[in-house]
Amino acid sequence: MKLGNIQWRIAALKNGFQDATAYRLEFLFEVLGAAFVPAAIQWVLWYALFKVGGATQIAGMTYEDMVAYTLVSILFTQVRGGDHDFELAEMIRGGGLSNYLLRPVGVVEFVYIRGVAPKIFIAGFCLVLGIAAMLLSKIFPSVAAATPNLTPLNLIYGMALAFFGNIIHYQVGATLATASFYWEEAYSLMMVKNMIVQLLSGELIPLNLFPESMQWIWKSTPFYLYVFGPTQIALGRWSTEEIWMQFGIAGLWMIGGWVLIRASWGLGIRRYLSLGG
Amino acid sequence: MSTIIEVKDIRRAFRSPKKEEGMKGTMKLLFKPEFSEHEALKGVNFKIEQGSFVGLIGANGAGKTTLLKILSGLIPPTSGSARVLGIDPFDRPMNFRHQISLVMGQKAQLWWDLPAVDAFDLLKAIYEIPEKTYRERLNTLTELLDVTKHLNTQIRRLSLGERMKMELIGALLHWPKVIFLDEPTIGLDVLAAAKLREFLRVFNQREKVTIILTSHNMDDIERLCSRVLILRNGEMIFDGQPSKLIQQGACRLRVRLKEEIPAAKLSQWTGLAESAIEIAEPEADDEGDAGDIKTIYFETKQEAVVTVLQALMKNCSIIDMGVEEPSLESVIQRIYSDPKA
Amino acid sequence: MSSSKYARVFWVQLKNNFVREAVYRSNFLTMIVVDLIWIAVEFSLFTVIYSNTETLGGWSKPQTYFFLGIFFASDALFTTFFQRNFWNFSDLVNKGELDILLTKPIHPLFLALTRWFNLTAIFNFFLGLGILLRFSDAAGFQGGWKWLGLVGWLAVGLTTALLVRFAFSIWIFWTERSWAMARMYYQFFAFATKPDTIYPKMIRYLILTALPFAFIGSVPARALLQGLELSEYLRIAAVLSVFFVINWFLWNAGLKRYQSASS
Repeated sequence: MKLGNIQWRIAALKNGFQDATAYRLEFLFEVLGAAFVPAAIQWVLWYALFKVGGATQIAGMTYEDMVAYTLVSILFTQVRGGDHDFELAEMIRGGGLSNYLLRPVGVVEFVYIRGVAPKIFIAGFCLVLGIAAMLLSKIFPSVAAATPNLTPLNLIYGMALAFFGNIIHYQVGATLATASFYWEEAYSLMMVKNMIVQLLSGELIPLNLFPESMQWIWKSTPFYLYVFGPTQIALGRWSTEEIWMQFGIAGLWMIGGWVLIRASWGLGIRRYLSLGG
Repeated sequence: MSTIIEVKDIRRAFRSPKKEEGMKGTMKLLFKPEFSEHEALKGVNFKIEQGSFVGLIGANGAGKTTLLKILSGLIPPTSGSARVLGIDPFDRPMNFRHQISLVMGQKAQLWWDLPAVDAFDLLKAIYEIPEKTYRERLNTLTELLDVTKHLNTQIRRLSLGERMKMELIGALLHWPKVIFLDEPTIGLDVLAAAKLREFLRVFNQREKVTIILTSHNMDDIERLCSRVLILRNGEMIFDGQPSKLIQQGACRLRVRLKEEIPAAKLSQWTGLAESAIEIAEPEADDEGDAGDIKTIYFETKQEAVVTVLQALMKNCSIIDMGVEEPSLESVIQRIYSDPKA
Repeated sequence: MSSSKYARVFWVQLKNNFVREAVYRSNFLTMIVVDLIWIAVEFSLFTVIYSNTETLGGWSKPQTYFFLGIFFASDALFTTFFQRNFWNFSDLVNKGELDILLTKPIHPLFLALTRWFNLTAIFNFFLGLGILLRFSDAAGFQGGWKWLGLVGWLAVGLTTALLVRFAFSIWIFWTERSWAMARMYYQFFAFATKPDTIYPKMIRYLILTALPFAFIGSVPARALLQGLELSEYLRIAAVLSVFFVINWFLWNAGLKRYQSASS
């Protein structure tokens, strides 16, 4: 890779980070809001099921297991892909793309790098916070008993998978965004995708709560690699072989996503250019 | 004729919060805000007769829009009193709102996605205009403005000129007694602006409505207003007929001299005050040939032109000369920029 | 103040919005599909949970579905009549659109809040009612004259959403950017999507008082299925009145600020 190629990527990263944090108060609100409201709702559900409802085990998980899942999943929910595919779609729809086509950078990658910048910062922050909180919590025997396999190394592996998930999320979104070349309302596809992701990524509930007959649903999408997978790794609920297999699956999704986005972008851009933007 | 607007010693100071950068600044803004004070109007007085067409001009930030906002009741004056139709505008009673109209050239009030006729329907309901009256007025206005055929076109598909006409119709459907127009011709081409002006002139004369207009376009003022108010830095510096601004028989002598002569010397030779002499930097002429010869303007009277020229010819050689009628635009320009005028 | 004028203005706004939406017809199907998926996701969540348990905070599966029906119907009403007006609320102040509204002989808020409708969302209202009807027997709803109560409860839900959303929007007079507040509203709104009895005491107290999201779906569902105690009726009346007074106060204070800050 030439030096210039690295330089624009670094510049895009910096620009994306500055853009996201220009209004610090809002950035804070966004991060906190995205973390605590889903977590609070999850916790409330477990509370209702176990403490009010009197259940002792659901799908093999105890109340403590559930709470541990909820807390750890917050970290990965923060890292999961953002809404920068919407930006891409808006560029195509509104014609802003034309400005970018003149520049010597790949548009799809440029938008991704800009979008991922704050996530990298958040991921690092979450990792430090997560490890600190984990070490601190080990002081309490009851917590330590519920999370015997939660180690810093597992957390780092989990974060790595979450980052694979972040890339896949954007690949899926960007592929859907290319529908904007043909259809004004393509953003609705992405809205639908986001709603499905919410349910199938595992940020609302652990996916093993799905009844046996419905497990295939989440297993057949890559979405579980965003939150559920990383959380399982961090909590040490997956064996080493399983972890390697999941990284392999993530790699396959990424290759598939890459092929898909190249094909759909290539088709779309030809139409864009032939219509004169 | 009776007085319809009366303004006594109106002042308007406004505070704007000073926000500092970042989170700390925001917090400070919430709990211990600091303000900077600014006086937009510094004691303005005038009376306006019913049926008159008054131009309100001034440079950007002179206080025109502030004055219009006070007169239409959007903001209160800090001190002093305003009466419009015998009512304190800021009370905004319903009968006041029924009798006035505010049009802002830069702010559209009609819906973009709808044909004008649907937007007018809403105004009809808001102002409770009876169906028959509404039809009559709509016909009159659309015919005067020549937009009958555009009534069923989406506003967004209209040209800027047609859109402004529709905005005007929307503002007039309730037949207001006083109309405030804030830069109605902004952005319009020469032809569209002329048509709009013609309409305003006819409407003012036919319906005897009082119109107050702000504009940066001196054509608007010259052709429409029988009276002009000039604001500068919140103070009223002129109130009278626009023609009064241009002194009768005044003229401007333009010469180019072979050698460069300081203003003091020119003043000595011609007997004119130094303030009446303006030395302009050389400008490129049609052939793009700027040269280094400065143009000198003398403000004088028509009958004195010959005397001035003779005095100049005695002392130096003239390359080129001409006599100009001062335009309202140039007079205004000087008023805006001259702190003493 | 003549109420017939307000009715007529409302009617014209409704008609104009209908015309506008007819122009953008392609939007129609998209909107419906997006909302259908949203409903499907909420349903799946509860289906998954109920596959592991019989009751949740005392609510059986059909009762929860009954609640979801009311919630969707009520939310659809808000979306139909108010949502877009609140999205555009910041333009009032930031772009000075309030200026023109203030010169009109009608309450400026009435004009601002009835400007945009989203008539296609009415489809979701009927969908919500359909869900409600489908599970009403299984949930133990007695029906009969209680269907009349449903109308009243939908009105309560709509009023609540309106008042709370307003309280979150009005800060635009002070902050210039209301993004953060709007986002916060939607984050808290997530509490409305679950029956209130599943929440721990503190949160439950919160969503019955300071952030009364429970009035949108849970309380109406409980009222229709089991009936409420007098104290709960009183609390609803008190909370909504307090919200009304606070909003009224903030609106006037905001207007005053708007008028003192502009030049």
